[in-house]
Amino acid sequence: MEVYGRSKDMAQASKMQRERKKRWKNASPVPDVEDPIKELSKGLHLKNFQLIITDIKEVTKTTKTYRLKLAPDSELKRLPLFRAGQYLSVKVNIDGVKVTRPYSISSAPSDVLGDGFYELTIKIKDDGFLSLELFEKWKTGSIISVSGPHGNMYFDDLRDLNEIVGIAGGSGITPFRSIIHEIATQKLDLKLTVLYGSRYEDDIIFAEELSNLAGKLPDKIKVVNICSEPSENWSGPSGFITAELIKKYAGPIEGKTFFICGPQAMYEFLEKEIQSLNIPNRRIRRELYGQPDNITMNPKYLVEFKDKTFNITVRIGNKIETIKASATESVLVSLERAGIVVDSQCRSGECGFCRSLLISGNIFINDEIDGRRAGDKKFGFFHPCSSYPLSDLEIKIPSFKFVKFSPIK
Amino acid sequence: MSSTIHKSSSFDSSYDVVVIGAGLGGLGAALNLALSQKSVLLLEQHNLPGGFASSFVRGRFEFEISLHEMCAVGPPEGPLKGPIRYVLHDESSVDVEFVPVPEAYHLILTGEEHKINVKLPFGVENFIDTVCSAVPETPRESLVKYFDLCRECSEALTFVARSKGKIDFKTLMVKYASFLTTSGYSVAEVTNKFRFPRKTLDLLYPYSCYMGLPASRLDFTIWASLLHLYITQGAYIPKGTSHQMCSAIDTRIRELGGQTEYNTKVKKILVEDRKVVGVETDDGEKIKAKYVITNCSPHLVYGKLISPASAVPVEAHKLNNSRRLGVSAFVVYMGLDASPKDLNLESYGYFISPHMDTEKINKSMLQYENMPDLTASICLNNAIPDCSPPGTTILSITTAFGIDVWKNITPETYFATKNKFARQMIEQVSKALDSPISEHIEEIEVATPQTFSRYTGSFKGGVYGYDLDPWDSLVIRSQVKNKEEFFKGLEFAGGFAAMGHGYNSSLLSGRQAARSVLWKMKKEGG
Repeated sequence: MEVYGRSKDMAQASKMQRERKKRWKNASPVPDVEDPIKELSKGLHLKNFQLIITDIKEVTKTTKTYRLKLAPDSELKRLPLFRAGQYLSVKVNIDGVKVTRPYSISSAPSDVLGDGFYELTIKIKDDGFLSLELFEKWKTGSIISVSGPHGNMYFDDLRDLNEIVGIAGGSGITPFRSIIHEIATQKLDLKLTVLYGSRYEDDIIFAEELSNLAGKLPDKIKVVNICSEPSENWSGPSGFITAELIKKYAGPIEGKTFFICGPQAMYEFLEKEIQSLNIPNRRIRRELYGQPDNITMNPKYLVEFKDKTFNITVRIGNKIETIKASATESVLVSLERAGIVVDSQCRSGECGFCRSLLISGNIFINDEIDGRRAGDKKFGFFHPCSSYPLSDLEIKIPSFKFVKFSPIK
Repeated sequence: MSSTIHKSSSFDSSYDVVVIGAGLGGLGAALNLALSQKSVLLLEQHNLPGGFASSFVRGRFEFEISLHEMCAVGPPEGPLKGPIRYVLHDESSVDVEFVPVPEAYHLILTGEEHKINVKLPFGVENFIDTVCSAVPETPRESLVKYFDLCRECSEALTFVARSKGKIDFKTLMVKYASFLTTSGYSVAEVTNKFRFPRKTLDLLYPYSCYMGLPASRLDFTIWASLLHLYITQGAYIPKGTSHQMCSAIDTRIRELGGQTEYNTKVKKILVEDRKVVGVETDDGEKIKAKYVITNCSPHLVYGKLISPASAVPVEAHKLNNSRRLGVSAFVVYMGLDASPKDLNLESYGYFISPHMDTEKINKSMLQYENMPDLTASICLNNAIPDCSPPGTTILSITTAFGIDVWKNITPETYFATKNKFARQMIEQVSKALDSPISEHIEEIEVATPQTFSRYTGSFKGGVYGYDLDPWDSLVIRSQVKNKEEFFKGLEFAGGFAAMGHGYNSSLLSGRQAARSVLWKMKKEGG
């Protein structure tokens, strides 16, 4: 084979080697370290950054909205943007117990561009020790450590239809508030009907605010409040959110995408109702609800384990520590109780940030929220947030020292 | 309650070798070192192994992040068995299973100049037959000669790689004369000599897209080798996604006594007197090692990691600046609630474009008004039917952008830009395949250069290493390697190393870096 003649061809390789040398010699000596793509990334989501509480509003007797801005000493120029429906993972340190919680952002994405804030709206759960602590101790001026924004329950025009039916329960209204504000400011061109279930009338979060917004844009926004235990004065629909009520207020099922966000009990009740409506999978987006309140209620959980405690030998690299763990608490919670920090964001089996290696022992994996990869299943990796010990365990967790947890004082 | 576990050290005070980054290069390196009974520590900043060779789960789907198909795997036995199988199975007993990809590629050109819809098979003869029947004016004899030349170049490249810097020119002259006369030219320069009609080239060139360069710039030898290996050995993918393959390698490294640690970012490579002495993690832990193999780019290593920074010679920065960073990618991942058949998806891999002019395609990757011209789609179910639940399909559509294009995108325009390109790409594929994709999207994710930067830490979100121009070819890189070692004990693995980018090259480059370290240790009597 000859390209330009044998002698020229045979010299070509050396010519290219000289070309390389020439380019090297003539190149700039200034290190090329500018990375605009990484900078772009910082404007969209971050592993860890600090916020300051600038304002606290009591929304109901059991709910507060915290307005958060960039902490004064932050290196960031602006808060990362997000899509309405996404959450922040809040990292707090309560007397040495470092925990994370996902909270949906209740303010609109456009508020980041304007005044530069997020809002988190947090409701006290009867058994939620963290929310109680936050409620009492987060004050104006408190510094909050977070990561994110994360999450997959947002409107995506590539997938979703632009008529959305939202089904919310309790604090599950927070992502819808974000979406509603985004519609109201015409950043999102959607029609949204929210069926919002609360227990009592005075539990309804953002009742007035959302009804005002709906009143201004009746063609775009509709909010239907449903109370399960209303007073005598309640004139709206009551009970749980049934297929019947969904059809009544949202109209025909066709041509709509359903977003669901609420407590575990609501999902369990809704499952049958949704089934009877024959909505295809692709038309339903469910927000995660975190760890189940009581794993022993899972039909696959063997109740004989419910009072047992086990030892977990935890390895981080060469380090070893043995901790006590209850069979009814997730491995993640047992680690946190022992003061061992493992990265976690969704706490619902999905995001995989807590992925760890099971060296020995048996675990119960809550398969309703088992978001593991096939390779992880094969090679013994598990998500501590969706796994429960059924024997003594030996596990290896990834190191996690670089994230700040803001102390609650 | 407070635990002391975070206060003590996770590591031994020193290792024979520290490997930075658990991408394919880092994994390949750590695997070979563990196999050779060296104490090796593999550190990865993310919480998963694999780098780009990974997967993610959405709903009931698990998506491959970047793999289209692997070269150099080949069938399990026989003369066509490839080095990847040898390294992973025979040499290291890694528990990974490979599945063959059914056809080379399905090419659909939609432009007026050359409208065509043709499936190219594996096997040189079958491939040539298909090209000749799809483009009857193809000079068959020339095409046969072209594939002969590709075979010769591929074999010569293996010969050169095995000669460890001391190339036996006599053998080269006798056995691989055409390799010597084509080495240093671009794909276009050599291929033009064959005077193939434009339409024949259209069918021949799609794989060159995997190299991210137009025919006028891509080094001929690497192209010839790639084409030859794909068409003769076939292409393969790991069962259970790349994440499963990488988890298998990670598991094997640990079985062999190596240590792998995730969520651990290396902040500094510590040097003294132009010698590597260890690394420092981002929480300040120092780990001693005389050898460090890095899966990161030289841009990152010389620009950010070497400490003290003043130890980096200006020559290193100049060398980095003289080379060209490869492209970044843009991928739309979809879980569809219809079967491949209902979606008219009959093939595994599609190249779709208005034309196959590689110069024009590359130009289209440098703007961001509209999507680039060419997409490469993968329907995973057509290689692994049960990769998603019955009645569903996993489809990904990929295109590429020049490394600097996305610097113009701001956070404010990011989501809209991302969806605009994704929509155009879905439309292109739907139209070409007459497939009702958008009616069946159950899950969708879009990865941009920003996404790749975020998860892998790659410089500027690039998914490849340095461009493989004829002046920065594999042959030249292997010849100049010794002259470009600025620090004793520092080796590169992965897409930026001498062997170039791609799954097989990255993995094998890790092994090569490990062998180089082992050889140096032996020489020092260590």
